[in-house]
Amino acid sequence: MTAQEVRLCGLLLREHFGEVVEKVGTQLLRSGAQNLRTIIHETGLSVDLVKKSLMVLVQHGACLFSSGRKGPGSPTEYRSGCDRILRILRYPRYIYTAKTLYGDTGELIIEELLQRGHMTMSGTVKTVADRLTQNMEEGRSMDYSEVSSAFSKLVETHFLQRCPPLAGAGTADSTNPAPGATPATPSTPSAPPTPESFPDCYKVPHMTLVGRGKRQLTAEDGEDQRNAKRQKMDPEAHGDEGIYWQVNFERFHLHFRDQAIISAVANKLDQTSSEIVRTMLRMSEVTTSPAATCTKPLSANEIFRSLPASYNIPRPILDQYLTLLVDDPMEFVGKAGESGGGMYVVNLHRALANLARATLESVVQERFGSRSARIFRLLLRKRHLEQKQVEDFAMIPAKEAKDMLYTLLSQNLVQLQEIPKTPDYAPSRTFYLYTVNQLPTARMLLQNCYKTVANLIERRLFESKESKRLLEKSQRIEAILASLQASGAEPEQLTEVEEMITAPEKQQLDGLRLHINKLDSAENQVDETIFLLESYVNSTATSTS
Amino acid sequence: MAARGRSRRTLSFSVDSVGINRGESLPPTLQQPTPVFPVMEQKPLPLTGGEEAEYLLALKQDFRGAMRSLPCFIQPAAALRDVERYSDKYHSSEHTDGLMDWTPDWQRFPRELRIHVKKPARDGVSVTRSDAQLAQKKKKKKVREKEEVLLKLETLQKKEEQQSEEDDDNAEQKKKQEDDDADGEEEYDEEEFEEVILYVTCDGSNQSMWTGSGLTKGSVLQETDYIMSYFDNGEDFGGDSDDNMDEAIY
Repeated sequence: MTAQEVRLCGLLLREHFGEVVEKVGTQLLRSGAQNLRTIIHETGLSVDLVKKSLMVLVQHGACLFSSGRKGPGSPTEYRSGCDRILRILRYPRYIYTAKTLYGDTGELIIEELLQRGHMTMSGTVKTVADRLTQNMEEGRSMDYSEVSSAFSKLVETHFLQRCPPLAGAGTADSTNPAPGATPATPSTPSAPPTPESFPDCYKVPHMTLVGRGKRQLTAEDGEDQRNAKRQKMDPEAHGDEGIYWQVNFERFHLHFRDQAIISAVANKLDQTSSEIVRTMLRMSEVTTSPAATCTKPLSANEIFRSLPASYNIPRPILDQYLTLLVDDPMEFVGKAGESGGGMYVVNLHRALANLARATLESVVQERFGSRSARIFRLLLRKRHLEQKQVEDFAMIPAKEAKDMLYTLLSQNLVQLQEIPKTPDYAPSRTFYLYTVNQLPTARMLLQNCYKTVANLIERRLFESKESKRLLEKSQRIEAILASLQASGAEPEQLTEVEEMITAPEKQQLDGLRLHINKLDSAENQVDETIFLLESYVNSTATSTS
Repeated sequence: MAARGRSRRTLSFSVDSVGINRGESLPPTLQQPTPVFPVMEQKPLPLTGGEEAEYLLALKQDFRGAMRSLPCFIQPAAALRDVERYSDKYHSSEHTDGLMDWTPDWQRFPRELRIHVKKPARDGVSVTRSDAQLAQKKKKKKVREKEEVLLKLETLQKKEEQQSEEDDDNAEQKKKQEDDDADGEEEYDEEEFEEVILYVTCDGSNQSMWTGSGLTKGSVLQETDYIMSYFDNGEDFGGDSDDNMDEAIY
């Protein structure tokens, strides 16, 4: 929980949940597990606001609660983690992926679940059907069964998962419901069970839900509205009470990782190679565990049979492509044996390491120029070099090489390693070697990315605050225009209303809009880098532990 | 320049290996912190545009906007200004209504987070929302004073009914508790309150619903016969900019 992460999480909470939740959230992030009393005391907010904020955080999975450290009788403790809150940055990417895979229905399902945190299947289906019906033409509506089938497909491919059930409500909560644990053991503060440790994680419940989406009538129709709302209020049991669903972020991350590998292969080699790699990854989707170093070995015969029909390349050409992929220095694909025409694997962790390395190199190139990037790449390959050797290998004149090395050193992208000849570390009798350590550098850049996004958000908030009055005025005018158009006004009235904004104000508004859009899409782009670096850092953590 | 030998001009590091030749001086020492926004030698690359980036941008902004209108966006009541005003009584509870829109499944939350009863601010004294048990105790104390208390309890109960929209499931529980303490009988038409309740639970955005339904803005909730704009103190007047206004303000 670094300072940059906490700052970024605070800003994200503020934008999506308000300042009250931001205060409570940052308090939890800064000070670890606390009980309710401590949180109230430290934040200085009223009891109800703190309770409400905690409920919002728990609902969205940002906060976990468990019984206190001193045993089952002590007050519940709440703890929060940065990871879950930082996912908020990636929400648009999740929604877009669902749209590409499962169409508008999938997109809306994921969007609803992200907005609400946890929801039952019936609730989601109803809300999504209503929303889809809104956008359809008059007279048509969306059937619940279509939305349910989209939901089931999402569950089958593991994009959605059930929320882990709590073993009994109340302060005596035990979040350690492993089947073998005896109830007598005090609840140790172990990590809460992952949703996947429950066997029913991906089982779609049997739900009785028939009907079609309801179109929301316009606000003028008070009478019908009252009736429609009354129907909604009647509690209907659909057979899936108590089963809540949440978005499975890990599965989306695996999907993003696969996409990154495929596009890297397409960029480096060609389209056909990327199709081969895509086929290999698709075949290993279900057999590969999320933390695996490489996929299960696939024989060339299997790959040949599973290639998409549009790519009818002959068998020898496929073998040549596979050999090319194996020989490529990027090492995305490796050969694991000779049976079945050759057994091939995709090296996932190595691919991530290479992608991270490419990111680091490109950062150095864009910040310091191509010659500094050359020095950086040289050090990555050759590990340790003396100053003289750097100048020789990089073919850069000594003075400039020295300057660039020192700049990189001052930015902490390059480190000095001392190798003493004598035990007293005398400077004249010590070797000083320059080196680059990929993992710590990646971590440092990751923190820089968090700081960047936090700065972008702050700047955006500052810009909106400066022009708050203007923004409100334009919003009011838009609302007036919309209502006039809905009720059918003449063009003169519309132009009259539009003229309420003067030309310089319009210019200012356009400039403001442009800035805000730029800052927003910059955040999205930095998040892609964050994803790559985070995946790399996490992959090294699992392989070393 | 640590380890300065006795008036000898040696430096702590070996000069040749670091690469400083004779005649070259060390770079000037820094006297102040480096500038906050140093000039960049290399300009950064432009952002990737394209259809996907624009769609992601639109998704992000829509999501943010949608979150603001959901019940999980908590906004505290606006801070009281320097002097208490009569209209505060009617304005303050308007904003906090959105908080009760959401029906959480209480099984999934620890018991200490339950909020049962909300009492509106009366006579300028703000009463915090308390647990059902505390409310019971307070009511038990009041019951001793009997008649005036019964009247008060009836109005309280109606207010609680009106503001406990979310607890459809717990409605029976609450009614039991309250019926134990007071002989509240429903004189108000429940229909009217149900309509009120129904409006508030559908969406997070209350304001438009109120005006659209024909009910005057907030008057039923605030228990007055006047619409809420009656209580405008006129302090917001003239705050907006007067650009392009040809007429003078009197």
